[in-house]
Amino acid sequence: MNKTQTVTALWDLRSGETAWVTGFDAALSASYQGRMMEFGFQPGTRVQCQLTPGFGAPRVYAISNSVFSLDREIARSVYVSRVEPAEVGA
Amino acid sequence: MRRVLLLGSPNSGKSSLFNRLTGLSQRVANYPGITVDVATGKLLNLTDAELVDFPGTYSLQPISGEEAIAVDFLNQALSESDVCHVFCVADATRLEKCLHFILQVIRECGRHGKAVTVLANMADVIRDNQLIFDEAGLEEALGVPVISVSAREGTGFDQALAQVEAAPRAGGKPANRWQDTPDELLHGTAQQLAARFSPKGDVLINSQLSLDRFFLSTALGGVAFFFIMFLFFQSIFTWSAPVMDGVEALVTGLGEAVVPLIPNKVLADFVADALFGGVGAFLVFVPQIFVLTLVIGLMEDSGYLARAALICHRPLRLFGLTGKSFIPLLSGVACAIPAIYAARSVDSPRQRMMTYLAIPLMPCSARLPVYALLIAAFIPAETTLFGLVGWQGLALFAIYLFGMLTALVVTGLISKSSGGQVAEQPFVLELPPYRLPTARPILRNAWNRCRHFVTQAGKIILLVTMVVWFLGYFPNQGADLAQSWLGTLGHWVEPVFAPLGLDWRYGVAILTSFLAREVFVGTLGTIFGIEGSEDNMLPLVDQIQASGLPLGSGVALLVFFAVALQCVSTVAILAREGSTRLAISMLFSYLIFAYLLSLIVFQLFVLLT
Repeated sequence: MNKTQTVTALWDLRSGETAWVTGFDAALSASYQGRMMEFGFQPGTRVQCQLTPGFGAPRVYAISNSVFSLDREIARSVYVSRVEPAEVGA
Repeated sequence: MRRVLLLGSPNSGKSSLFNRLTGLSQRVANYPGITVDVATGKLLNLTDAELVDFPGTYSLQPISGEEAIAVDFLNQALSESDVCHVFCVADATRLEKCLHFILQVIRECGRHGKAVTVLANMADVIRDNQLIFDEAGLEEALGVPVISVSAREGTGFDQALAQVEAAPRAGGKPANRWQDTPDELLHGTAQQLAARFSPKGDVLINSQLSLDRFFLSTALGGVAFFFIMFLFFQSIFTWSAPVMDGVEALVTGLGEAVVPLIPNKVLADFVADALFGGVGAFLVFVPQIFVLTLVIGLMEDSGYLARAALICHRPLRLFGLTGKSFIPLLSGVACAIPAIYAARSVDSPRQRMMTYLAIPLMPCSARLPVYALLIAAFIPAETTLFGLVGWQGLALFAIYLFGMLTALVVTGLISKSSGGQVAEQPFVLELPPYRLPTARPILRNAWNRCRHFVTQAGKIILLVTMVVWFLGYFPNQGADLAQSWLGTLGHWVEPVFAPLGLDWRYGVAILTSFLAREVFVGTLGTIFGIEGSEDNMLPLVDQIQASGLPLGSGVALLVFFAVALQCVSTVAILAREGSTRLAISMLFSYLIFAYLLSLIVFQLFVLLT
């Protein structure tokens, strides 16, 4: 994992971009933090933004072999750091 | 009788496994959270053991009402001595999302001295995509048996059942290594296990992505959504029409053959009017219920419904709902009762309440016989656009759309007036893989829905038609319906319905429909049966056309039925899931609203024609 990257919100990833999960916003309730971790959004895990449908619709993220749809509220509470293009295939 | 518990995450194929292991037909759908109640069935190959299917849950730390129910049931069941074994189902292709739950289940089983086996489902997908799943390695790491199974192909069941046979009959299982592990440590362990044992490769993700690029694209996704919904409503009429014609011919032919053989005149009149006229008229619409359930099943099983929930999330938010309300609302197109149960999957109590408000306005299958009857009476069975679009299907689409839009307007207004800006729960939804629907469970579900509809609604319809026939036939032996007891009663209530252009016969049919909407058809069939000629049993549609019902009244009736909450069972379930106050307020509010809307519609027709 490249730790030098700037931390950003998961919602800010563009379609096709890959990032490492770094943590959660403290404002996100403990139950939802727990649920996100159960879904695989654990710090250090690689996540890819697959689709960004228009009109503010929930976005589609792939983590391991699972695909989740997250709305703006929760995707803004998950922090990630972008993976360099050279790292993506690694 | 020993009991085996069946637990698992949503979309792990748990209900399919249940059906395979028991030969029963628990409802199966490719959508998170479809199992909202506990189902039980005897294990096919272990006759002294019963399998208990729990609602799917991602965790033993619930965040939705549906998960809370599953966890409560589990805690209770694990304390019971007749529970001898627990099957924990995991999707082997998406192991990482199941492992934390598996560890939680193993821990709880250890604490309660219960044996547990992990059933790694989707062995067929692993094989077909040449993925690698280290069953033995995971078994060693977890310390409990792990068995690869395929619910689709029915493989691996013998080994799974052998574990039940090997387990002690009542507790006594040694504690396992996880029973004292705190939840925080389980998170880390699950992550490590996922890294080691999850199938590698992105074959499945990529195959899903190409379809999602189409179905979730901003422009084409919306068009596809409306096209699929349009096909859905067209199919209800076009696919079921030949079977409906067949049932109608059968009912009419049978009536004309049987009635002349009955020597007693009163009994012959009863069989002709109440049984063939009343119950028979209702049976004609059962094929449409079959097609409706079948098409919803196809959408669920294919994985499209979860995408539809995503597409609808933002628009539904404007009306105080969430994308997760979409599935209960679409279920409401079949029946409000399972839809109200399905609303448990809506995390936010406020959005769940809004979903409750919207569900009874969804055009349920009980409305379908009423809609189909009135549409057939007023809209010709002709097509346009080179035979591709039927006018009757288009009319049905319009009245369904009216019901749905009314639901949105109602929830939107209530949401805005009661502080719609309150922060809501986040929207997190797993998108299941696309799958080719499996014909057998979908057909069986549609069949069961029809059987349930006929046996449950049929009982009420038979009872009501008998009462209606008795009141309509006596005291003058069917000579003059207007002078019968029913006619007298009808004339008392006629002033209420006269402003809608409806005579007392329709008024009586509306009153009886408050037991269940479809009773309207049976009551009208009985009334027109008493009134009609004994020698010529006309279809109900023809009798309505002959009764001189104006178009404005027909549309007013459609509007009334689209809005009014005429279902005793729905009111009872709303009281149970929501509150008695909510159920009673909805019953009266929707009744007044329905009456006022249909009054406006009829009066507009009078003004404009």
